Amino acid sequence: MADSDNSSGEKGGLNRRTFLKSAGFVVAGGTLGAGLTTIAPEAVAAAAAAETAPTTITNFRCPICAKDFATYGQLKSHFTAAHPGYVLPVTTKLKVNGKDYEVLIEPHWTLQRTLQFKLGLTGAKQMCDRGVCGSCTVIIDGRPVLSCTTLAVECEGKSIETVEGIAADPKWNPLIKSYCKWDAMQCGYCTPGFVVSAKALLSKNPNPTENDCKQALAGNICCCGTYPRHPTAIMEAAQIMKGGA
Amino acid sequence: MKAFNHENAKTLAEAKTALAGGKATIIAGGTDLIGTLKDNILPDKMYPATLINIKTVNPGLDYIKEEAGMLKIGATTRLADIAAHPAINQKYTALAQAALRVATPHVRDMGTIGGNIAQLHRCWYFRKPENRFECLRKGGKTCFAMMGDNRYHSIFGNVNMCIAVHPSDIAPALLALNATIVTNARKINAENFWDVKVASNTVLAPGEIITEIQVPAPPAGAKSAFLKFAIRKSIDFPIVNCAVMVGGGAPRIALNAVAPKPYRATKAEAAIAGKPINEANAEAAGAAAVEDAKPLAATKYKVQIAKTLVKRALLATV
Repeated sequence: MADSDNSSGEKGGLNRRTFLKSAGFVVAGGTLGAGLTTIAPEAVAAAAAAETAPTTITNFRCPICAKDFATYGQLKSHFTAAHPGYVLPVTTKLKVNGKDYEVLIEPHWTLQRTLQFKLGLTGAKQMCDRGVCGSCTVIIDGRPVLSCTTLAVECEGKSIETVEGIAADPKWNPLIKSYCKWDAMQCGYCTPGFVVSAKALLSKNPNPTENDCKQALAGNICCCGTYPRHPTAIMEAAQIMKGGA
Repeated sequence: MKAFNHENAKTLAEAKTALAGGKATIIAGGTDLIGTLKDNILPDKMYPATLINIKTVNPGLDYIKEEAGMLKIGATTRLADIAAHPAINQKYTALAQAALRVATPHVRDMGTIGGNIAQLHRCWYFRKPENRFECLRKGGKTCFAMMGDNRYHSIFGNVNMCIAVHPSDIAPALLALNATIVTNARKINAENFWDVKVASNTVLAPGEIITEIQVPAPPAGAKSAFLKFAIRKSIDFPIVNCAVMVGGGAPRIALNAVAPKPYRATKAEAAIAGKPINEANAEAAGAAAVEDAKPLAATKYKVQIAKTLVKRALLATV
């Protein structure tokens, strides 16, 4: 069977501009320092990338021959006739950051892949791609999980939160600001995963100790070694969100 | 990853029927399976054409309950829930401690107890991406670890010529707590549950699905503990791990990652039976645990770790 991992969806994958936009919120934090207020618009812009993703499928594209169809039924009959032996794409409804989407994917697509190539949400990063490093962390039904090891078809009916949703939510602004203030990042590639894990921790435990933070981030790997800054940033964010400090 | 079909099973019977179709595999948490498929470890003929999701069966298998002096855990219960459960922490301590030491918080929020005990071993020849080594466990004729680098392998010899160790943290806890594994066909005592077969670490027959783990309440006065030695504190698989239950009955001591199957250290149990747990007795039990060890040249260090871990686990119950 063909490995169709490289086929992009009807959104045509990501262009360079959207990529830079979503990467921007991390870079901005690293370089601007004092100009913290400029981060929020960048984060909102990153979340806005998903706004352009269609909530329903209007175009059913065959992943093998790239022919377009108007309905799933037409694609299905084309598929059975033209590509016997291949796995039929499926439609899945995903609720990401509170918004409902319908996507046409193949059953072996991971959630990370679907978020990136169908919805343009690049916050959940593909790094190890084996469920080891935590860079692809998203929150599903309140649990921080690895989107590279989760099949997108199994997420139907579940509530998915990504770093874009957290960054665009004013409630979680102190967490983002605190991360920038303490510069808990260097290259920034792993940072979205850390932020999502931190948010999952703070949702469950609004007053974490340093040890709680270390435990919650034990599944996130940072090759730059920024580890000591994360508990500081999270604990300060927790104080600010409680109205203190 | 190569393409596969995906089906949500509504009942266990439906899942069983789907499995009987041939090239189908159960998916629960997926943390072991998806990695295996991404790395394309197994020969093409073993690559599943369909994954059967059992998280969707009704009635669901995601539960923890105490009934009739017995702890019942559904097969798709996440490890994080087990580690955080107050009653398990209090009465079945070793199980909660073991669940807390599995991989990372993220993996514990995805991985299930059924998947943990049925996971495949981590031998690097077996796990080499793109099926580079067609070893015994893939239907081949050679154990590459026997002649190659086997520093993380068995210290208690081979089973069916394979020297890869069983990597589960939950397994020794279940063995020490005398658990029973319930499938859709039968009940299997933890002691008879693991096996060394082609692409399988369990005695489960094709079409057999783990549905529940039953742990009898420890006798009054019994205490249990679990310890793990790994190179990294987080994410890492064990070099050796050990679970013990002592007091209120015959002691039970189990080690894992030391043999192809989770290993019950019966000699250590005999050495500590009826004796108070103190430094000297625990040390003697540790020495007894590794009496039968037949380490390879590169695994001699694991004997020392196993010995000390038994001692420390016993002392941890005091």
